[in-house]
Amino acid sequence: MFPGNLLSIEDLSVPAMDEIFERAAYYKAKDRGANFTALKGKNIVLSFWEPSTRTRVSFELAARKLGGNVIDLRPDQNSEKKGESLEDTVRTLGSLGANALVYRHKVPGLFGKIAGLVDFPLINGGEGCYQHPTQALLDIFTLKEAGVVLSGLEVVMAGDILHSRVARSHFLALPAYGARMTLVGPPAFLPPELVPPGMGYSYSLDDVLPRGDVLYLLRVQTERHRRLFSSSAEYAAMYGLNEKRLAALKEKTFVMHPGPVNLGVELSRGALHVLEKVYPEKILIQKQVQNGVYVRMAVLDLVISGRMMA
Amino acid sequence: MELLLKGGILYDPAAGWAGPAEILIRENKVEAVSGSPLTVDVPVVNLQGKVVLPGLIDMHVHLREPGEEGKETIASGCAAAVAGGFTSLACMANTSPPADNKTVISYIQERVRKTGLARVYPLGTISKGLQGQELSNMWELASEGVKGFSDDGRPVMDSGLMLKAMQYALSLGLPIISHCEDLTIAEDGVVHAGPAGYRLGLPAIRPAAEAAMVARDLLLQEEVGGKLHFAHISSKKSVALLKWAAKRDVPFTAEVTPHHLFLTEEAVEHFSTDAKMNPPLREEADQKALLEALQEGLIGVIATDHAPHTRQDKEKDFLAAPFGVVGLETALPLVITLLLSKGLISWEQLVEFFSIAPSRILNIPGGTLAPGSAADLVVIDLQEERRVEKDNFYSRGRNTPFQGWTLKGFPVLTMVDGDIKMLSGRVKGFSPDFADILDAAMEKGYI
Repeated sequence: MFPGNLLSIEDLSVPAMDEIFERAAYYKAKDRGANFTALKGKNIVLSFWEPSTRTRVSFELAARKLGGNVIDLRPDQNSEKKGESLEDTVRTLGSLGANALVYRHKVPGLFGKIAGLVDFPLINGGEGCYQHPTQALLDIFTLKEAGVVLSGLEVVMAGDILHSRVARSHFLALPAYGARMTLVGPPAFLPPELVPPGMGYSYSLDDVLPRGDVLYLLRVQTERHRRLFSSSAEYAAMYGLNEKRLAALKEKTFVMHPGPVNLGVELSRGALHVLEKVYPEKILIQKQVQNGVYVRMAVLDLVISGRMMA
Repeated sequence: MELLLKGGILYDPAAGWAGPAEILIRENKVEAVSGSPLTVDVPVVNLQGKVVLPGLIDMHVHLREPGEEGKETIASGCAAAVAGGFTSLACMANTSPPADNKTVISYIQERVRKTGLARVYPLGTISKGLQGQELSNMWELASEGVKGFSDDGRPVMDSGLMLKAMQYALSLGLPIISHCEDLTIAEDGVVHAGPAGYRLGLPAIRPAAEAAMVARDLLLQEEVGGKLHFAHISSKKSVALLKWAAKRDVPFTAEVTPHHLFLTEEAVEHFSTDAKMNPPLREEADQKALLEALQEGLIGVIATDHAPHTRQDKEKDFLAAPFGVVGLETALPLVITLLLSKGLISWEQLVEFFSIAPSRILNIPGGTLAPGSAADLVVIDLQEERRVEKDNFYSRGRNTPFQGWTLKGFPVLTMVDGDIKMLSGRVKGFSPDFADILDAAMEKGYI
């Protein structure tokens, strides 16, 4: 039942996601002092064609904690300059004994084509504006851990929806658990055709803020909003979470962010300070980062062992 | 060549003919068309109930030569044309170097002569070097024989330059063929701005990118007059603008491609680069509007926008792969199978879209088989059913989104200037067994 690859949340059924969460909880509970061996003797190749710190380190830690060998392939475009195709590179990794490849790439669709051609699993660590499945998984794990009931949950997702792979993974994952999403952002980041059927959207953060049980802030890349707004301050004024807007949140609203936060853009320093000092239980950003390791341990374990069984 | 075609059903609306006909070909021309048996001492081929049409004309083809012979050559493109039932085509000017001077035009004409398959009418560029900065030497191009002007592949972004081009073309009596795309709206888009493209996280081109420029050109045209032809109209929004212009009696013509008629954005699922084209495949509502516009005559031409690319080009990732699909070898069977056989258009309309209208717009021979006309014709077997197999294409381009589709109704004989260029899928000069097949048919006296 477990898929051979994890390219998109589409690859996962709800039971498969549940299995990941169960395994992640197990690893988290036993983490201290335990000596896991699930990936002993396995070679996990990390290949990030786009800059990444937290996701790469998170996968690396996950693989190491399970006893795996991590090969950190840092593509410097040398192979591409030599005219070697991505497909050849990935095939070569297979010949060298890779047991899994975790990739990140700015172009969507490349690895989906290669997945059928190699006999080891591919795991998406962030693909263009298309999918970032482990982020959605670790977010849901974090919500469950915080005791949130997903069925009927109202998630307000704010920011650059158009360019967000995290949003596209959540379009599939959160509704699968019965959560409802409302998308909010400037019209240029939120074309109506992008909004999945049945999902709400708005161009006013203030209008939708009070309805969220979860406020999920997306990172807004400065080079993108610079083309739409005269300044970051303009964007922040319209779509950023600041101290004033904190007051509009429901009592129990959780605040999430996939990181790294652009302080002063989607989240003001003041609001972050208040959340951290006064309502530390509401802000899940650090928990998301911590849980990322356990969720990725579960993913690596299940995807790699699932493939072995198949 | 002297030949009597018996037993065919001729649709020649320009001559008011629809029914059984004997067609006598002599000295490259149609000498006689008759409803009753002709008795002449010439070789006879009995068509056994197959359909005969005036040769098809594709007014939107990228032949790629000179400059990109890996994608297509004039020879391979012409072979694809006659294999698909086309006897004439107009080739776009975005070659390398571009067709903005008479040297390139005469080079193309020379290659066409050497190939000796289809008639090819080169189009000249609107702007020098396709740069959109200065007008090309339009008179010089016209005197070298171009039948129209287009920067196709790119829009003319500068509205003032477009105005001057339209005025210039008016004085030469030639059409401007407009590729409508406001690049400041389209930006780096690669797919339609619809649910399927957005789901994949691909940069999108909204219909307004096309419609904004259709509107601009119509406004200019209303003041200038002359011949304005819209290439590859793809969206219902553009159709609405054409409707508006027709009501105001603004003179224009427009074309639609088979891929925009028969596919939607859903074809980009799985990041298939064979579904990457510009303008992009849109939605069902657009398809419906395009079909209605065709049925009503608002859009009067079906053209393929045949845009061959190498396998290597199309194997690039979705963002980097070039736009375009091939169309010469699938257009007619697609239109027969999906429009004609379903009763959505008549034979008369099919001939209008594929032959009469393009010949009128470009002011080139064709569109009829009335006695005295050039003997350019296509014979269609409505019973022939097969799957589209790209590896059997004569075109060098294999980039078709219709691979594997089962179609019914294929051209089985293409004649250009009284000479049979394609018979039963074999192309003269390309298929080793062409002469044998032709001899056998002549001996038997039927196909």
